[in-house]
Amino acid sequence: MKAVFVVYNQSLGRHVREILNQLTIRGFTRWTDIMGTGSGKGLPHEGTHTWPDLNNANLVIVEDEKVDSLLSKLQSLDKEVEKEGLRAFVWDIEKMI
Amino acid sequence: MSLYSTSVKKPVTTLMIFIGVLILGIYSYMQLPVDFYPKIDPPYISVFTYYDGANATDVEQNITRKLEDNFGSLTNLKTLSSSSKDNISVITLEFEWGTNLDEATNEVRNAVGMVERQLPDGVKTPTIFKISTSMIPVMVFTVTANESYEGIKDILDNKVIQPLNRVDGVGNIYQIGSPERAIMVDVDPRKLDAYDLTVEQISGILTANNLNLPSGSLKMGKSDLPLRLQGEFANSDVVKNIIVSNANGKTVYLRDIATVRDSLKDVDSYERANGNKSVRIMVQKQSDANTVTVAEKVRAKMEKIKKTLPPDIKVDILMDTSVNTLASINNLSSTLLYALLFVVLVVFLFLGRWRATFIISLSIPISLITGFIYMFLSGSTINIITLSSLSIAIGMVVDDSIVVLENITKKLEKGGFAREAAIFGTSEVSLAVMASTLTIIVVFLPMAMLGGITGIMFRPLGMVVTIAVTTSVIVSLTLTPMLSSKLLGNRVSSTTNFSGRIYSFSQNMLGKIDNVYEKILSWAVGHRWSVIIIAGCVFLSSVFLMKFIGTEFMSSSDNDRLSAQVKLAQGTKLEETVLTAKHLDSIFMKKYPEIEIVSTSAGTGDENSLAAIFTETGNYIINYTFKMKPRAERKKSIFDIANEMRKDIEALPEVEKYYVDPGSTRMSGSMGMGGGNYMEVKIFGNNFDETDIVAEKIAQALKNIKGNKDILISRDREKTELQLVLDNEKMTYFGLNTATVAAAIRNRVTGLTATKYREDGNEYDVIVRYDEKYRQSTEDIANISIPTPQGRLVKLGELTTLKRFYSPPNIERENKVRMVKVSSAVSGTDIGTVKAALENEIPKMNIPDDVSIDYGSSIENMQDSFKSLVMLLMLSMVLVYIVMASQFESYIEPFIIMFSIPFAFTGVFIALFIFHATINVISLIGTVMLIGIVVKNGIILVDYTNLMVDRGYSLKKAVIMAGRSRLRPVIMTSLTMILAMIPMIVSTGSGSETWRPMAIAIFGGLTFSTLVTLILIPTIYTIFGVGKIKKSRKKQVKLLTENILMS
Repeated sequence: MKAVFVVYNQSLGRHVREILNQLTIRGFTRWTDIMGTGSGKGLPHEGTHTWPDLNNANLVIVEDEKVDSLLSKLQSLDKEVEKEGLRAFVWDIEKMI
Repeated sequence: MSLYSTSVKKPVTTLMIFIGVLILGIYSYMQLPVDFYPKIDPPYISVFTYYDGANATDVEQNITRKLEDNFGSLTNLKTLSSSSKDNISVITLEFEWGTNLDEATNEVRNAVGMVERQLPDGVKTPTIFKISTSMIPVMVFTVTANESYEGIKDILDNKVIQPLNRVDGVGNIYQIGSPERAIMVDVDPRKLDAYDLTVEQISGILTANNLNLPSGSLKMGKSDLPLRLQGEFANSDVVKNIIVSNANGKTVYLRDIATVRDSLKDVDSYERANGNKSVRIMVQKQSDANTVTVAEKVRAKMEKIKKTLPPDIKVDILMDTSVNTLASINNLSSTLLYALLFVVLVVFLFLGRWRATFIISLSIPISLITGFIYMFLSGSTINIITLSSLSIAIGMVVDDSIVVLENITKKLEKGGFAREAAIFGTSEVSLAVMASTLTIIVVFLPMAMLGGITGIMFRPLGMVVTIAVTTSVIVSLTLTPMLSSKLLGNRVSSTTNFSGRIYSFSQNMLGKIDNVYEKILSWAVGHRWSVIIIAGCVFLSSVFLMKFIGTEFMSSSDNDRLSAQVKLAQGTKLEETVLTAKHLDSIFMKKYPEIEIVSTSAGTGDENSLAAIFTETGNYIINYTFKMKPRAERKKSIFDIANEMRKDIEALPEVEKYYVDPGSTRMSGSMGMGGGNYMEVKIFGNNFDETDIVAEKIAQALKNIKGNKDILISRDREKTELQLVLDNEKMTYFGLNTATVAAAIRNRVTGLTATKYREDGNEYDVIVRYDEKYRQSTEDIANISIPTPQGRLVKLGELTTLKRFYSPPNIERENKVRMVKVSSAVSGTDIGTVKAALENEIPKMNIPDDVSIDYGSSIENMQDSFKSLVMLLMLSMVLVYIVMASQFESYIEPFIIMFSIPFAFTGVFIALFIFHATINVISLIGTVMLIGIVVKNGIILVDYTNLMVDRGYSLKKAVIMAGRSRLRPVIMTSLTMILAMIPMIVSTGSGSETWRPMAIAIFGGLTFSTLVTLILIPTIYTIFGVGKIKKSRKKQVKLLTENILMS
């Protein structure tokens, strides 16, 4: 099992949800209206008057084999709308109950 | 969930709600009646008291003063004015606008009740009379006739007035100047004396001969039949054959001692239409009826009635208040459509996209239509105020949608998805949109709270604009994002098709403008102090321009009406007056092809009719009403024609006083409803001679000041009266008393109505009096025989002496002090200038200490309104500051933005100067509006500059970037407003004069302030911004953002 942390401009919310549905990924945790700035080119997403964008984040726990397809779908979404901002980070799940 | 995301996610609901609003609005629109002004109830109550036989001074001392003393404590009473004339006292109570007149009437009734007992015997009960706009006739017809003239009164009564009275909403209908049939018995006093008869005896005989009497019943066989004596005159011929006496056994018939004529009552008035004998029919409406609807129905009914009238009777419309109203409303409606067209064109030119233009344009009908819903619910009408408020709103309701759509498009261009771009694009600007609309609302809503006549006029304007812009915010936050999510995509339009070419053309052009502006702005930011000094100079020099702009209450408009009054010397007899009238008639008809109908009236006519309250009548007074051809069909304006007419009248030596009243605004002006420009100087003082001299001096001074026409002094010259002084001793000797002598004289000179002759259900007076040739001179009066109780006859000359004496014909008072008014119609210049010139003259006049001078009419209105408008201006500025300060969470930034306001004023002055308009209530209202409108530009600029500074750009760069980026929205929202005003400025149709000053003010103010704002506000921002940036900027943020920008 892997944990995929998807953090994206909230305007992409509907599309991220669609991707999860397409891959029949059911389990996730979502935070909405959160702030963040990318390390590279990304502009701050702070929900302020100056930087009005905000992020959502999904923590998705998936089987190992689904990780690649999930990442590739997310990547193509990111490419389509590069300026909105979408990142995904994967790490291992060590234990579960 | 937020409003915008709900509406984007539920497009059907959103659409249905707006369709519902549209349907409601269209329904309201169809139900709305049309009128010229909002419903105005003038707060006036009059008290009429008749005291027969008393002269002006008696009336003043015994009635007017006593009543006035009791009226002083009425609630909300503004001014108390009165006029005491022979036989009548008229007190006019002016209350504050908005007073409940029903309550006021009750109070007045109580006050009258308290004083009634103190009034002398013989005074009739005072009549309390509420003046309302419904008393102004809706329509006036002239009826001319040849053969039917003698019987016209009955024909009109039966065939015209009765059917018209049944029309819905019609109130009273009056016939003015119709001849009355009467049987005149003109007796020869010498023959009367010879047969030992008196006028009273003849009258008694006539009454006794004209009777129908039930005389019991007759039982005949089985039946019981009533007996009736039919003794009434079968026809008028019978009268002369009545036996009046059997002197010395010889039968004396009435025809032996009198001439009996079945003809018309003595003509005491002269009525002509285009020189033909005529009658006027005046139609009033019921107070809650709508003028235009009533006029339409009356007109339609009259067309039907015309067919039933004898062929020689011609009916023409002399005045129809609805025509001008409809013309003005139609004119304003087409202005509205042009404004709509301009706004849509601007939007299209800037956006270059059909779909975006469509979405933005949709907010116009929806916002305006809610205005109609408000008008319907509040019982208002479609009038020039509500319609022009829609014209103003048109340019503003698109602004919010433009801002929202612009942000959505930007999101789309960044590559976002339509639905999300719509939701988040709206969410980002929603606060800014609401705040900038709030600045508009805080300016317009207080307008609805203004007091006085200005308040009544502009309340609908404030409300309609507030409602329209509120709706436009709602539309911009719901419908606009919803439609954008459906209709807009991030497609790049092709450059080959028509719209694509327009798009690329407009974008190229705008790009060039952007570049030019950027260069100018860079220079300005580099030379801050020179820019500020230049700006300061421009503003100060514009203040000097004010000297060349006139001031007035309200512009007068060409409403196709004209009236005039000509007074000859007091005591001129009607026949002489008629000669002058005929002469003038022929001049007017020949000289002015612009006149359709000349209606002339002279003489007293029916003094008891309501018409007599509004127009002064008398044997020496000629009143004219002209119906002009519609404005489009004539070259000369009513003002030019009025000036020429003044010359025509002035050329006649017999004319003592006159006025020509273009627009017929004197009447409504006196009711405080504005229109027309009258200078009115009130001279207070109890001494007649002193005040007369001052009045004469002021009149003379006004004559020397350019632009004063129709200078009138309200107090007429003293008039001559013949007074009969009775010798009491002789009277007692003959057993007579004053009452019998007075009655006897009256019966012989004025006539005694003996009985009524009935024909076809109508009654006609049978009047007995001396033949005219026996009552023409003072000797004739002295020769009148008075019967004594002893049965002898005594000549009046034995009992009395005749004396001539002078008495003031009318005494006017205001707030319990005697007053003379000197008035003039101002044309070719403005009231403010005239007032200033007169004020220079007054100190040279040596005015006695107990005489004081005040200004009334237009000046009073002007000062009151200006005062409240200046207050409103201050209030608006404070409120706008409050809104902006809380929006920016800063004290300084709103202050920077408010620098655009003085330049709006500069623009107003320049525009008023160029277009030769004046500072009046309407242009001032426009100026107040500007406060809300011009700060919008500043808000857009400063807000975005703040954004750029926060995002880490250097001050100069932020200012220039923000300027370049916001140039289009600023120009676009300003242009929509400016262009929406142009149709109002160039329109020349009916009523356009009234609203032009406002359009000019907004046009000039907004154009100038937009240009200045674009350069000055960024410059000032850099001055104030330096300190701010030094304080707030943190190093890390700077480093971080610069990194981002580098990459």
